[in-house]
Amino acid sequence: MAKPEKQYSGFKNFLRTPTPTLIGLYIVMIIIFTIADKNFLTVQNFRGIFNNFAVFGVLASGIMVVMLAGGFDLSIGSISGLVGIVSAVLMMDKFGVPTPLIFVIAIVIGCSVGLINGLIITKIGINPIITTLGTLAIIRGVCYFWANQNPRIYNVFIQGFGRKFIADIVPYTTIYIIVFFIILALILKFTRFGRNLFTIGGNETLARLAGIPVDRIKIITYVISGFFCSIAGLLLISQLGSGRPEYGTGAELEVLTIVVLGGVAVGGGKGNFFGVFIALLIIGSIANGMVMLDVPIYLRQVVKGVLLVLVISIDALRNRRNLQLY
Amino acid sequence: MPEIKASSVEPGKKAKISNTGILFIVLVVLFALFSYVGRPFFFSTLNLVPMLNNLSFIGIIAAVLTMVMVSGDIDFSIGGNIGLTACLVALLLSKGLPGWLVVIIALCGGAIMGAFNGFLATVIGVNSIIATIGTMFIWRGIGYTLSNGESMLAMNPVIDYIGRGFLFKVIPFPIVIFIVVFVITYVIMNLSKWGRRIYAIGTNPMASYLSGINVKKVKFVGFLLCGITASLGGLILTSLSAVGMPQHGQGLELVIISGIVLGGTALGGGKGQILGTLAGILILSVLYNFLTIMNVYYFYIQIVQGSVLVLVVATYEIRQSRALKRV
Repeated sequence: MAKPEKQYSGFKNFLRTPTPTLIGLYIVMIIIFTIADKNFLTVQNFRGIFNNFAVFGVLASGIMVVMLAGGFDLSIGSISGLVGIVSAVLMMDKFGVPTPLIFVIAIVIGCSVGLINGLIITKIGINPIITTLGTLAIIRGVCYFWANQNPRIYNVFIQGFGRKFIADIVPYTTIYIIVFFIILALILKFTRFGRNLFTIGGNETLARLAGIPVDRIKIITYVISGFFCSIAGLLLISQLGSGRPEYGTGAELEVLTIVVLGGVAVGGGKGNFFGVFIALLIIGSIANGMVMLDVPIYLRQVVKGVLLVLVISIDALRNRRNLQLY
Repeated sequence: MPEIKASSVEPGKKAKISNTGILFIVLVVLFALFSYVGRPFFFSTLNLVPMLNNLSFIGIIAAVLTMVMVSGDIDFSIGGNIGLTACLVALLLSKGLPGWLVVIIALCGGAIMGAFNGFLATVIGVNSIIATIGTMFIWRGIGYTLSNGESMLAMNPVIDYIGRGFLFKVIPFPIVIFIVVFVITYVIMNLSKWGRRIYAIGTNPMASYLSGINVKKVKFVGFLLCGITASLGGLILTSLSAVGMPQHGQGLELVIISGIVLGGTALGGGKGQILGTLAGILILSVLYNFLTIMNVYYFYIQIVQGSVLVLVVATYEIRQSRALKRV
């Protein structure tokens, strides 16, 4: 488990985080991609990059809260898929559910699945990875109840939700991500909940002994993750224009890569949102750059896997205990 | 060193029949029930022989993965390993290589994959769960790249024999492999010094290190063996289906790990029996086979698989916490 460490504050502490390295890496990447293809560094292209990582960005904010408290959530892709297909089905003409109600239902579904995850993990005490691996399969199976519906999205508001641009340059989705990140960062820094979260991530036994309601806070983190999954699910159906049961498959891997690259420790207790945002940009640009450089589609999966392994290896080496005997 | 076994580690031992015994009774009851409900299809050679063949490649991986899990680690990359091995075998056969050479290359490939996992988990010290989730995608991605996303025919006398041959014209060859691997792992885990070291490491790595066990070496060898066995499983699956495709073995880690945990292996390590794993895998195979025979959609079987995993782990966790409270 990682050492309990304060959230980074001040410029000196900022320099000690991985974030400056990430910024440097990103600048190098921009230079390389721009040399390779002059269309990379254009407003048009970056509009696309920003809009494409919207779903991952929203999911990242949820999983980051879970991971800061030392938890883990592999079921995010499935939850957003479930929310997506259910909302899309409810939007069909034969149900005719009004838009605000769809948002409410989506958020209720996401939060309740998160609550179930949290209850299983804390009250029964199962390893979070195994629990969410199980719920990943269960929820994905549930999605296929609606496999033959194939709903399309005609709702204008939902269509605009993930696709519109401000002044034709800034995507709505980028605004959402920035707002979510700022709100979460403020909550984590200035509320008791946030401080408790970092304490639990740093040393859970210590937090328990100090009288922090560990179980309750952990459950809340999974509910928060579920909430962001429902937003991500709505963004998915908005951007793709239809509801399919397989939406969001494998998103957990992508998001995990982003979050760990952004400097969030896998054991919990460490991480900041600025780093995660830079990581989002890096992963988004790599995906975009690989398309521009015509990398074969199957090789892209390998590149993503290699990136994840590389990133967690660096994370492990950085957080290595002084006395690594075994 | 005192011998550490699952039965002696577990506190509050009262029942006269061991957990493994209970599992085998459950297996017999389920088998009888399914034979009755699923008659006449379930209890027929036409169903049981393919079921045992499918069980064989799941079983050998489960047996070796039990060793890894008892030492406190886990390997999720087995499914990806199978996919990559299948594509590699088909690709090499299409290039005209002799069958025996392809088998050797495939097993060496498995060894390399296992060694890489072991390197990440021991030398670099990455959490093995996340490391192997990453490598799972790498292996499968390489499989897709090799085969270009298509399934390739894999026909060769040697390869055919591995999955569809018969020893002495009676016993299916996969079953032979299955029994051999189980006997070897049983001997290692229950009768050898190496096995006692694995249990000791799973129970308390620090104490094991201080008592002179090379913890990293034991763990590394576990991953290495797991990689080799997974590619052997990939060979069997390729032979059974006569095609090599990158989708082979997708989602298999869910079934295998559920089976192992159902068999009584603790996730944190230090506890687990090869015979328990055998019972767990048999129960799950019989269950999923029955669901398929009863015409349940694959996606709904997926729900059952996930629920089984969570339920099984939950049951063990609750029992363990109760036992701890009693002490």
